Amino acid sequence: MKFDDKIPIYYQIKQYIYREIIIEELKPGQQIPAIRQLAVSLTVNVNTIQRALSELIDEGVLVTQRGKGNFVTTNTRTLVKLKNDVVEAQVRELYDQLSALNISPDEMLLYLKTYINSRKEVHHD
Amino acid sequence: MTEILSINNLSYKRNLTSILKQVNCSAESGSIIGLLGANGAGKTTLMRLISGAAKGFHGEISINGNTQDIERKQLVSFSHQLDGVNSHDRMEKIAEFYQAVYPDFSESAFKRLAEFLELDLHQRLGNLSKGNRMKFIIAITLSRQVQLYLLDEPFDGIDSMSRKKIIASILQWKPVDATILISDHHVDDVANILDAVLIIKDKKMVVSEKADKIREEYGQSIEDYYESIYTGGKEND
Repeated sequence: MKFDDKIPIYYQIKQYIYREIIIEELKPGQQIPAIRQLAVSLTVNVNTIQRALSELIDEGVLVTQRGKGNFVTTNTRTLVKLKNDVVEAQVRELYDQLSALNISPDEMLLYLKTYINSRKEVHHD
Repeated sequence: MTEILSINNLSYKRNLTSILKQVNCSAESGSIIGLLGANGAGKTTLMRLISGAAKGFHGEISINGNTQDIERKQLVSFSHQLDGVNSHDRMEKIAEFYQAVYPDFSESAFKRLAEFLELDLHQRLGNLSKGNRMKFIIAITLSRQVQLYLLDEPFDGIDSMSRKKIIASILQWKPVDATILISDHHVDDVANILDAVLIIKDKKMVVSEKADKIREEYGQSIEDYYESIYTGGKEND
């Protein structure tokens, strides 16, 4: 995995795990790899993984089973909220960037719609 | 976390030339720390002092509360450059020598590391590529079972595949409570795996900071931050 070195690594690992959960690469109730294994496969320090995981545990996204490891929560409400939060963050970023260009909300919708349609056409070809 | 290493008011001169001035820093147990600085800034000297290989400094260096040179030598594994070793010797023989010299050298750890780093131990030291020679140095250094490891420029001049393999071996085999100090002048090599950075400039320790704090509070990459220290600089002397 490529990291952006300007952003705290633990934060990027959290985002990575959110994405894996949303696209169900990690399914509800599934065990996530051991800390050391994650450290080696993502090429980051064990302490950094630990920090990311402990925040995910605090958020309820991961659940620790003593002696067994960490698992993705099976709580549907938590999972729905997780997806909403991640999507909202992306939309917020887009909104802020377009606002900075003095694009009004109505225009944004229009741009977005036009763009989505153009992507659909490309898809059909 | 507890402190494994603490350095207080360390000054060191060689032939009346000042090499390190009033250095203060510490290292948390279990962390990986980058010791950054330009060539000639004093990184190797600092490591030699910590390990007890260089003597005659002012101030205090303490490893787990031990301040004597002899005590520190036993608590630290410093990456040797194998300068005095016969280049006709095979790696397996050199490893046997280390095992005989250091009671804390673990043969099983060495075998694991050598296998992980894909070293053919029958080969002679003189026939190794630069990358394989460094892998061997890393395997020997990490095979001692100690609390503090000092790796001096482990990525200097080696190919990227060897570098990745060495980094993976560090992440894979570092005991949880062991601390590793890595010196480097190419920050990019190691930025991802560091808990904290120490920056030496003009004989002084000018920065001791957590890596994610640099990213979080200054919004800078470790490399940009390091460069800003060196070019702009907080201190001009």
